[in-house]
Amino acid sequence: MRRAAAPAAWAACALATALAAGGCTGPPAAAGGPDGILTSSWGDPQNPLEPANTNEVQGGKVLDMVFRGLKRYDPRTGRAQDMVAKSITTTDARTFTVTLQPGWTFSDGEPVTARSFTDAWNYAAHVDNVQNNAPFFADIEGYDEVHPADGKARAKTMRGLKATGERTFTATLTGAYPAWPDTLGYQAFLPLPRSFFTDHDAWLDKPVGNGPYRIASYAKGSGMKLRRWDGYRGPDRARNGGVDLTVYTDAGTAYTDLMAGNLDLVDDVPATQLKFVRNDLGDRYVNQPALIIQTLAFPMYRKEWSRPGMEKVRRGLSMAIDREQITRRIYQRTRTPADDWTSPALGARGGYRALCGAACRYDPAAARKLIAEGGGLPGGKVTLTSNVDTGSHRAWMDAVCHSVNRALGERTACTVDPVGTFADFRNRTTSQRMTGPFRSGWQADYPLIQNFLEPLYRTGGSSNHGDFTDRSFDRLVDAANARRDPAAAVGDFHAAEAVLAEQMPAIPLWYQNGSAGWSERLAGVTLNQFSVPVYDRITVL
Amino acid sequence: MPDKTAAPEATEAAAKTATTTVTTAPDAVLSANAPKPEKARSLWSDAWRDLRGNPLFLISSALILLLLVISAFPGLFTSASPRDADLANHYLQPPNWGHLFAPDWFGYDGQGRSIYARVIYGARASILVGVGVTLLVTIVGTIVGMLAGYFGGLTDSLLSRITDIFMGIPFMLGALVVLTSFANRAIWVVILALVFLGWTTIARVARGAVVTIKQADYVVAAKALGGSTTRILLKHILPNALAPIIVVATIALGGYIAAEATLSYLGVGLADPTVSWGVDVSSGREQLRNAPFVLIVPSVMVSITVLAFLMFGDAVRNALDPKMR
Repeated sequence: MRRAAAPAAWAACALATALAAGGCTGPPAAAGGPDGILTSSWGDPQNPLEPANTNEVQGGKVLDMVFRGLKRYDPRTGRAQDMVAKSITTTDARTFTVTLQPGWTFSDGEPVTARSFTDAWNYAAHVDNVQNNAPFFADIEGYDEVHPADGKARAKTMRGLKATGERTFTATLTGAYPAWPDTLGYQAFLPLPRSFFTDHDAWLDKPVGNGPYRIASYAKGSGMKLRRWDGYRGPDRARNGGVDLTVYTDAGTAYTDLMAGNLDLVDDVPATQLKFVRNDLGDRYVNQPALIIQTLAFPMYRKEWSRPGMEKVRRGLSMAIDREQITRRIYQRTRTPADDWTSPALGARGGYRALCGAACRYDPAAARKLIAEGGGLPGGKVTLTSNVDTGSHRAWMDAVCHSVNRALGERTACTVDPVGTFADFRNRTTSQRMTGPFRSGWQADYPLIQNFLEPLYRTGGSSNHGDFTDRSFDRLVDAANARRDPAAAVGDFHAAEAVLAEQMPAIPLWYQNGSAGWSERLAGVTLNQFSVPVYDRITVL
Repeated sequence: MPDKTAAPEATEAAAKTATTTVTTAPDAVLSANAPKPEKARSLWSDAWRDLRGNPLFLISSALILLLLVISAFPGLFTSASPRDADLANHYLQPPNWGHLFAPDWFGYDGQGRSIYARVIYGARASILVGVGVTLLVTIVGTIVGMLAGYFGGLTDSLLSRITDIFMGIPFMLGALVVLTSFANRAIWVVILALVFLGWTTIARVARGAVVTIKQADYVVAAKALGGSTTRILLKHILPNALAPIIVVATIALGGYIAAEATLSYLGVGLADPTVSWGVDVSSGREQLRNAPFVLIVPSVMVSITVLAFLMFGDAVRNALDPKMR
């Protein structure tokens, strides 16, 4: 509604530009061709854009445009491919030697060296810097000294990380971890320029990286302008002039703006529009399986949810949710009912298997019985919490509550607590202020089953916001990581998943497809496995 | 929403004319020796006669009566529950206009809930907010206005400036700010927030009326006879200042109902599991293209209710303000 008047204003603008070039800056920029700039919807990131502190989708989207790491996951196949790395070699799967490609620089001209990586990683791991992704470095020798479980750090840098030359460094892990190089495409492992350390505040205002785009301007809460960096020498130069990201607090508004021609690309098509999307956009719409699962995590840091016996209540709640109807009606089948804690996009070889079993099937009678056996809901009530600015989360939360209330035969046992913005919701999640189940959407950082389990459910995991802890689960994950044979590792992860099926620290809801719609100005729009648009391949007509 | 900028002037003017012509109870004291008219014709009986023949009044009061019954006994009108959701069988099922009073009369919403049942049960929230706010606003406003008008001087300056300060707060913005600071918004929180911001109009009207009445002969006489302040305020001033206050209050009532719907729509008013028209309009907005009736039915209910109260208020004003006759 607020934007209703805008098209008219731009029409006037176009007239003005015809008479005198320049002067009008309203999106979308009229120019097409290789320098054309596209506009895209965005959500406000939770944190300043420090790579090691960003473990959510919206910040990750920008980091993927502004940075390139040692490896990058091929947008089509998902395989980890060398980017800045020339080679990563090892003889014992424990000590890795990393050699960098020559010629990489940051957009401020500083060359990318071995120290760009080691300094960044040491910064990320150090306890004083309070970085969300610090646990990703826990495999490196000396992590426990810079990031002890409690108390002060005993060292400034990790022993296991040594720059051995201008473009080589070695990383020694605490144990064998053959799949380690494949995790290096994640944003926690990105390099950082000197300016990050020397003038931190200025860097945060306008992050400098080594990727195909540079940040032209960033206004927190409203948007970011990214421009192609012409000095980029990597293999994936941007095929457009830049991207203007605009923050929307409601996916419906973004979609309306796309239809009105005020926006070029929407990567979160609202559920209520799914019926019309083919009609509205024709083939300018993509909907494909992605490495995303939505779950409802329990705040295990609260006694009423974690005391013995509650695992029955948690399982019972899972069985009270009619996933089939919700994905069919509300999501028009762009979600698939979940039956494990990973994603079918991993494939059976990658480790996907329906391990949740009966605990993920709708069975109101069994649900009622289990919840009663476990002592009932705490105080007879349960409140679901999620942000409601993206993903049509309000609709499914209501539907899940109705399903639970129906199964329990009570009308107001389950209620929802909608949180206005993603950033606010993330803050409540990470500061552990939840009183009941909260949405925990997981978009994999890299296409390995380990990434769906370890960060979320291992004791102290980087995204284990419910504080779940289980000794046998931890042991199985550690065993899996040490395996050289991928199939054997998957076997251990399956055993670990069986623990989750028993304990139910998070209820699997559904697997999410990635979806995007775009305007007639764009071509070559694709989504990667993480359902983020591959911006550098988009061309503006 | 209650219009705070235009209303006071107009209503205050109306208030003055109304109060100057009031010659009811006090006359009995003052004109004991005067020849008695055949029948005592008070402002109220005149107004009542006027209203009885006014179709506007009859229609609106019938509607209001119906709404009151619905909100008191929603169970009489529907057997369905507003919270029973059946996604499997009733997702966005279109209305069946022929099925009068059946759960599917107005169709089902995006959660598979009967819209008819939700509309019936949603009436209570709207009526409670409307009537509750109006009553409290009238009480608070009348007390403040009467004290300011009667005592004058420092008391008047102080109370009038406080009124001005509250009047300076934009109504919607103020309500948004107040309500967002409450995590758990029960219905009384919404009522109190609206009262907090809404009492000023009545206070001004009451003060204006009292200032005029204070100089009337019967008040002076009561004072001369040694009547206590409380007695004068309650027996002589209040009954005569009541007419303009009632006029303003009844007209504002519709506005408060609309305000509740607006706030609930914006997500800061009532929230689930309270059933409210504003909440339903808000969720219906998303379905506008799929199923417009989900949005339209509760919107129409808000409109009808607000209209009924506005018409009622209009009729009452016409009856109580002789200039309008």
